[in-house]
Parts: sequence; structure tokens; C-alpha cells
Amino acid sequence: MTSSVQNESNDNWLKQGYNHFIDIANKITLAIEDGINIAVTSKYNPLYYHGALPQFYLWVLFLSGLLLFAYYVPTIDNAYLSNRLINAWTSVQYITNSIPFGGVIRGIHRYAGDAMVLFIFLHAIRVWFTDRYRQYRWIQWVSGVVLLLMVLFIGQTGYYLVWDERSLLLTRMTVSALEALPIIGAPLKAWFLNGDTITNLTLSNFLFIHIGLSFALLFVLWLHYVRMTRPVITPPPAVNFVLVGILLLAVFLVPITSGKMADLNSQPNTYEVDWFFLFNYWLMSHMSLAVFWVSMTAAAVIATILPWLVKNVSPPVIPAEVVISKCTGCSLCYRDCPYQAIEMVPAPAGSRFKLLATVNIPRCSSCGICVGACAFDAIDLPQLPDANVLSEIKTFAEAK
Amino acid sequence: MAQSKPVITLVCERAADLNSLLDSKGNLAEMPDVHVVKFPCSGMIQPLMIEAALKAGAGGVIVCGCQIGDCYYREGNKMIRDRLLGERPPGLKKATDRRRIMALWLSRMQKQRFIAESKEFIYRVQALDIQEGISAGNKASANPAPTVAAKPAVTAPTAAPVVDSSSTSTPTAATTSAPAAAKPTIRPPTTATTPATEKSSSTPEAESDKTSST
Repeated sequence: MTSSVQNESNDNWLKQGYNHFIDIANKITLAIEDGINIAVTSKYNPLYYHGALPQFYLWVLFLSGLLLFAYYVPTIDNAYLSNRLINAWTSVQYITNSIPFGGVIRGIHRYAGDAMVLFIFLHAIRVWFTDRYRQYRWIQWVSGVVLLLMVLFIGQTGYYLVWDERSLLLTRMTVSALEALPIIGAPLKAWFLNGDTITNLTLSNFLFIHIGLSFALLFVLWLHYVRMTRPVITPPPAVNFVLVGILLLAVFLVPITSGKMADLNSQPNTYEVDWFFLFNYWLMSHMSLAVFWVSMTAAAVIATILPWLVKNVSPPVIPAEVVISKCTGCSLCYRDCPYQAIEMVPAPAGSRFKLLATVNIPRCSSCGICVGACAFDAIDLPQLPDANVLSEIKTFAEAK
Repeated sequence: MAQSKPVITLVCERAADLNSLLDSKGNLAEMPDVHVVKFPCSGMIQPLMIEAALKAGAGGVIVCGCQIGDCYYREGNKMIRDRLLGERPPGLKKATDRRRIMALWLSRMQKQRFIAESKEFIYRVQALDIQEGISAGNKASANPAPTVAAKPAVTAPTAAPVVDSSSTSTPTAATTSAPAAAKPTIRPPTTATTPATEKSSSTPEAESDKTSST
């Protein structure tokens, strides 16, 4: 008995501390947004499009990537083709230096990737601080974690594709990290290198992973949006222009260049870290591989189950209820529900109407927007029936 | 203020945090004529509730949601905004006096702003009451002429037989006569009620705009 009380108070202490932290974080987030609203009005506040920003950069990446793909040659050497060396590194050099605006396209592709990761983190932090990732939104959070991991991995394969000394070093580091894994390590290494050693096939595998996973992003994005009615996936054009402007500024101020061509006989050991994509290689070189894998896995698992670790911050969801005798099947609540929690089904036999609204309970957020959409009092939140609200309003208005 | 009509505030519990301003009965401690009803989301507010409040004798209704663009439930404040503007069903009846409705879009910390806007709104509503009291004289010969002058865009519903000086007329009379009444496009000089829903009245620009029009 005493131990359970002890546990409870510990639990409360932790819970209170967490709630306090989220409360302050929430206030700071809202204060920043209020400030931006004063400057640019809420219509153009980029923080109100925090989910659409990475999506916008994804389109930029697709387009610029398509242009790069036209000239990229995914090989290490081409001994049998000509006496002039044509490989991944030289094709990237050709794109950068010889094709009109090739360097600009390459720069856009690199910096748009960085920006995408940056805005994904912004997006994640905002939904965390404003408590918009749990309960009926768990599928968005979990698919979001998967998307982030995919984006990070796609970005890393992009760094291998350039095939300069950094690419070679990163490839070797990845191979040694994979080899350290028990059981699945060897097959993963074979898959990664497309063979036992680095060959021409390795580069074509990298290109396949880079492009193939990018398209797989679209499938996970579908999961990310599937329960959202009217997902906000496009920022207003004015914001888009600013986003592209910032990108071009970075491209022209800090042009992207390759390092020296990778030489399989050399042993490069230093490289420039891109903190958006390559931070895990930095971690890898500062700890043992066992610690690295355990901590990476733990971080991914904790991030994934975060919605279930945090509880009781907001009240539990009590789903809306349809009053079957009043529902006319007009579909207004179905159209307005922001979580697609209302489904229109054929009305029961003997009804005067064709359709009947039903609540899909796991999706319901108990926000009451369906109540606001209903002109027939036919849908209600059990904890706050609209009849009670109406009588409260009338009592006060008539008392005076 | 003692003789003024009650004002109902329908507020999202995640918008302007009014908890510290309320007395035990759910009225604003500073302005006991203002009763606050909290909702999980401003999207839950039915236009029906606003009409019922005005019909029951409320002087005005304040709707308060979060800043447009930010809704915990994604779209609630946009929904009620569009409903008030007549852009999304169900809307207000055409005869409903839009001057007695104010919508505010305020984030959690902006309770001072809520107080300031509410005070101004109450003065406007009281001015309306006085105006209508003079013009009506007695209820039997209700003549809403000054109201018409004050609100050019919404002439038709007020010109239609207004039974009560609290200007909730019969819906049929209004719907037959006033197709343009649903959206007041011209801002009347004395009011910034429904048009306030069009712009986020939480920005100082909206504030300066409003004062300049007075």
C-alpha cells in the first residue's frame, strides 16, 4: 500500500514537472507566433504551415533531383567505355561546372535537403510543444518518425553519390557499422554494397536507394495525411517565394563543391560534417559501435512511442454521439470533421432519410466541430451537450 | 453599466485564457454583465447559440477562438469564422443583427486584449440600445430608420418588419427580402462587429483600422 502511494507521488512529481515544461514551451511557442502574426499577419505566418514547409521542399528536391539524374553517371570507373574517365565524381563535376546553372541546381538540391530536415524538426517540436501528436493523432506521429528516419537515410545516400573522399569514408563507416550488427549485419552489408566490396554496382545501388526511397516517402506521406481532412500541404505562394529566395541566397553565397575524387586505395579519415544529415556519423566516430547502435535504436523507439509515454496532459477523449432520431443525413458534420471521424452510412430501415452519420470512435478528438456543424441538434458531446449550453445562455440572458 | 443588457461570450478554452478573470458564476469579475461559456473548440459554437442568446435578450455575443491559422483541432476557428460570414453552412439567419456579434481570434496569453476589445464592444452595443430605444419609442410602432442609416449594407432585413427592438426579426420576412444581407460588405461607421471576423482582430493593424473608421 505504502509503496503504491510512494510510486504515485513520484509519478505525480514527474508528471507535474513534464506538464510544467510543456506549459511553458507552449506559451513560448504561442508568443513567438503572436509576434510573427503582428509582423506578417496570420495568413503568411510560416509557423502556421510548419507541416507544409518540408512538403514544399520535397517538391523542390524532386524537381532538382530529376534534373541532376539526367546527367549523373552512377559508376566508379568505365574502363571499357573510353579512355577519358567518366564516373560519378566526374559527372557531378560536369553538372556543376559545364551545364548551364548545373551548379545552382546541385546547390538547390543540397540546401533544400538541409532545409527539409530543419523544417521537419521545427514541425515535430511544434506539434510536441502544442501537444498535437497523441491520442487520435498517433498515426501522424509514428508515420512522422518513420518519415524523418527515411529522409535522413535518403540524405546520407545523397552524400555517397557525389563519390568524393567524404563519400568513400562515409561508405566505409557505414559498412563497419553494419558489420558490427549481429546476425543481420552481414546481409545488410551485402545489400548496402550490392556485393562484398565497393564496385560499380555499389554506386548504382546507392542511386536506387536514394531515388527509390524518395518515392517510398510518398506512400508514408499518404499515411501521414490519411486521417486529415483538407491537410495543409501547400504554403501560400508568397511564403513559397520567400522559401525559394532563402534557398537561392544560400546557393549563391555558399556554392556546393566536391572534395577530391574518391580513390579506393586511399584512406581518407577527415571530412566536413553536415549537421543536418551526418550527425550520426559524427556520433559514430565518438563512441563505440555498440553504444552507437543501442543509443540510436533507443532514441528511435522512444521517439516512436512518445505518444503513449505522455499521458493525462489533456483530458481523455470522450467521442461525440449521434442522436439517431434527429439526424437527417445532411453530411455537414461529415464534411467539417477535421479528422474524418464521421462516416455517412445508409439510414436504418424505416427512416425518412437516406443517410445517417456515425462516429468512428478511434478517430474522434471530441472537439465538437461536428456539433457546430449540425443545425438539427443531432450530434452531441456527452460531456457538454449543446442543450446545456443553450439553457446556460438563455438563463443568463433572461435573468438580467 | 448596471442597466445594460447582458453580453454572452462563447470562448474556446484554448484561446484567450479567461480563467483568472472569472468569478464563481462564470461571469467576468471586472464586468459582471459578461457571461463566459467555454467550449473545447470555437468550432463547436453553433450559430443557433448566438441567435438564441440575442433572442433571449442578450445585448451582444462575443465569439472568441484561437488565432486564425492555429487551431488545436486544426480547423475549428476557421469553421466558425466562415459560418459567421455566411460562407459555410449552417450560418446565421439573415435577420440576425450582425452588429451585436463580435468575433475575436486571440491566443492563450492575450486576455488583456480580450478585456479591451470586450469593453469597446459593450460600449458599441450600449450605443445601439440607446439608438434603437430612441427610434423605437414604443414597441408597437417600431421604426428602425436610424439603424438603417447606421448600417447601409444591411438595410433590407432591418427594413423588414422588425418586431422587437432587440432586432431579432422573423426569419421568413428577412429571407424573402434580403439576398445581399448575409454579408455586410460596407463597414458601418459605428461598428466593427461582423467585419471584425474577417480580419484577425488580434493584430494591431486591425485595431488601428478600426479606430480610424470611427
